[in-house]
Amino acid sequence: MGGALRLFVLASLVLKVVAGFYWSCVVVRFGRVMNASLGGLRFSRAKAFGVSALLSSVVGSAGMLAFGGGTSAAQSNYQQSSVKEPKSVTFTQQNRPPIVYRKPPSSLIPEGRTLFTENCSTCHGVDAAGSSRAPNLQGLGAATIDFWVYTGRMPLADPTVQAIQKPRKFSRQQTLAIAAYVSSLAPGGPGIPSVNVAGANISQGESLFSTNCAACHTITGVGDALANNVYAPSLYGVGATQIAEAMRTGPGNMPRFGNGTLSNAQVADVVKYVLYLQKPQDPGGLSLGHVGPVTEGFVGILIGLGGLMLFGYWVGGRASR
Amino acid sequence: MNKRVEKTTDWLDERLGIAKGARSSLNKIFPDHWSFMLGEIALYSFIVLLFTGVFLSLFYVPSSQQIIYHGSYAPLRGQSVSEAYASTLHISFSVRAGLVMRQMHHWAANIFIAAIVVHLCRVFFTGSFRKPREINWIIGSILLILAIVNGFIGYSLPDDLISGTGIRIAFSIVESVPFVGSYLAFFLFGGNYPGTSIIPRFYTIHVLLVPALIVVLLAAHLGIMYHQKHTQYPAPKRTNKNVVGTVLWPTYALEAGGFFFITAAVIAALGGLVQINPIWLYGPYIPYKVSYAVQPDWYMGWLDGALRLMPSWEIVGFGHMIPNAFFPAVLLPGLTFTALSLWPFIEKKITKDDQIHNICDRPRDNPWRTSLGVGILTFYIVLFFASSTDVLANTFNTSLNLVLWTFRILLIALPPVAGYVTYMLTKETAGLDDAGQRRAPVIITRSEDGEYNSVVVAEEPSLRPSAIFELQEVSEEKAYRRAAQGDEDDRELVGAPESSSVDDNGGVHREDFHSQRSGGSGIFRVPRNVPGGGGLFGGRDSRRQRRRDTQE
Repeated sequence: MGGALRLFVLASLVLKVVAGFYWSCVVVRFGRVMNASLGGLRFSRAKAFGVSALLSSVVGSAGMLAFGGGTSAAQSNYQQSSVKEPKSVTFTQQNRPPIVYRKPPSSLIPEGRTLFTENCSTCHGVDAAGSSRAPNLQGLGAATIDFWVYTGRMPLADPTVQAIQKPRKFSRQQTLAIAAYVSSLAPGGPGIPSVNVAGANISQGESLFSTNCAACHTITGVGDALANNVYAPSLYGVGATQIAEAMRTGPGNMPRFGNGTLSNAQVADVVKYVLYLQKPQDPGGLSLGHVGPVTEGFVGILIGLGGLMLFGYWVGGRASR
Repeated sequence: MNKRVEKTTDWLDERLGIAKGARSSLNKIFPDHWSFMLGEIALYSFIVLLFTGVFLSLFYVPSSQQIIYHGSYAPLRGQSVSEAYASTLHISFSVRAGLVMRQMHHWAANIFIAAIVVHLCRVFFTGSFRKPREINWIIGSILLILAIVNGFIGYSLPDDLISGTGIRIAFSIVESVPFVGSYLAFFLFGGNYPGTSIIPRFYTIHVLLVPALIVVLLAAHLGIMYHQKHTQYPAPKRTNKNVVGTVLWPTYALEAGGFFFITAAVIAALGGLVQINPIWLYGPYIPYKVSYAVQPDWYMGWLDGALRLMPSWEIVGFGHMIPNAFFPAVLLPGLTFTALSLWPFIEKKITKDDQIHNICDRPRDNPWRTSLGVGILTFYIVLFFASSTDVLANTFNTSLNLVLWTFRILLIALPPVAGYVTYMLTKETAGLDDAGQRRAPVIITRSEDGEYNSVVVAEEPSLRPSAIFELQEVSEEKAYRRAAQGDEDDRELVGAPESSSVDDNGGVHREDFHSQRSGGSGIFRVPRNVPGGGGLFGGRDSRRQRRRDTQE
């Protein structure tokens, strides 16, 4: 089906270009005849007409080709699910639990202690009990430490503003070591989650995401500025573990979604949808950053109307003198 | 071929007597200027809107009925969505060419309203709304309002999360009208928000009511323009009583027809290549859900910006608190559109000018109107940008509050500054015929003594476009008028001298002009960039012209 359709689109493209070229030849020829018989036609008009006929056929075909890939799915009634599900979102129920929380291996504690003393203790204190500059980390659990360190937010660049995501300073093992050391100081807090993304339900995830997350991170997950220098970061490029950690621990201004709010299965669903949002099914051409009508308006006005005004300037007359 | 056409037209003429009317219509003169084509962009994108809209209406289901979605977009399968939303997903994913049609429709709407606004600016700044064209100005203002309203309603029809938020805001705005607000809102929505009536009602308004009104008013707009004849820019031989330009057939018809194809091409290109409103990512609208960073389409941006910039004052009047949203979202547009539609009369009150004006003002020749217009326009541009405060703050990594306050200050400070600067600039250039135009090229020579001399290259009157254009159209028009018993009172004559020579242009005769043209390559191109002339793509022509000169 797909192959035949593509061939059809390609054939129509070729046909349209040929037809457009032929049409423009006719028009140019017509322009010449008019030119000769009436002796007064501005030839550029006829040419503008011909060029526009050619342009519209070429450009229209390009547009057809662009959407052609997106709609090659069989015509289906949307009431019936006769379409095969895409591979990336197959619902395969597995016996694995949706999320497993693991404590980092205790063998890493000595390494973690060294790293913590070197990099963190200036503010958080040697025993992670906090100081006037930084909060107490005891009892927060490994997930919190892993999120802040592994997303590059810690060590902090500027303590006066919201922590920004930087290139991470520590490797995976070093991060786990610090987490192991801090979580060994006091009990409590979630371990590092391992999400069973394959077993999650993406549709549930969409519903939960639009209810709980979109109000700050926006419905497409690009993030946005909130009041007073606070912002909801973009969710692009964030891994499954970090998403689950952020939901379970509530870093910064983000609310914490504990067990009473969202079950493990629901957290896994949201993780699956956020991962999907990073590379969504995205037909229709250039996506303009998924910011919404702001960029669309600029393209519509500057490229759409602006381009047409340039064409008008070309076709139309200028002030005579 | 020609014989058959002749026979058909004769047949029609003998029965309907169309020849006379058709002849005079085909010979209708339109002044030719690129800025007169801005309204055409709006007209042509409206035609594209009609065609794509009809296609979409074949598949769209205007219903708020909740159904379980089982379509081809997997991340929403199994969710409860409205039929309107499900059918829009169906158009986007399963209907052949559905997505490109939807996107073309949306882009065409954005361009339609943008073209109307730019067209309005052209008419305003050139004073083309003055007597006798006040009625057409009012019709145009109503068309703008209708276009904005229909754009907003069309944007709401997919019933996705973001447009649903827009309807929610619209409901609150209607509610904010003092005393009658809640009655109005319940009347419009058929009950409390959200209800199930608003989508079907919006659909009827969107595809039937407003388009019919637009078509009727558009016909009136064009008909009045045709009857009153188009305005023209001041130029030699153009007077208040004539129209100088190109004939409808074949020249202007070809130009307009070509421009329609160009408009359709640009819209098709955007529709096929640039995504707009990916509603599948937005999800269905459910009243308790909301997405951050929600903006309306650009033409509602100034209203959204006004809502954002309005301080949270609680204003009490007549013993009641007037809802805050009333001022930016009801009062502001009300005043805006009232003042806009009545502007010709307001200006007449000030200038006491009751003359008929068929010649446009050059914007620089009317400093106070131009600067006032720029100031008011700046006000709305600031409001427009204010609708993206959050996106700007996020893009430039700064505080949302800072951006908000910046816009509040700019809203008050920028219009007077812009108006003042415009006033000074227009004062400086008013009355100059060649302001902003390219200077004539000169040859600079240096003598042996080191003295510099500049000589203007080819100050040849025969190369001026004005010397060429008007002559070539005179001949046809005069021939026709002689044949049609020459109605001397008709002011729609080509601004031509009585004789076939133009003495004030240096004695260039038509014969000279013809021989020069036939001596070329056979493809006649009007030299656009003759010395002293301007033009975007003119450079090549002028080189060609020079080459031809040297060959001769």
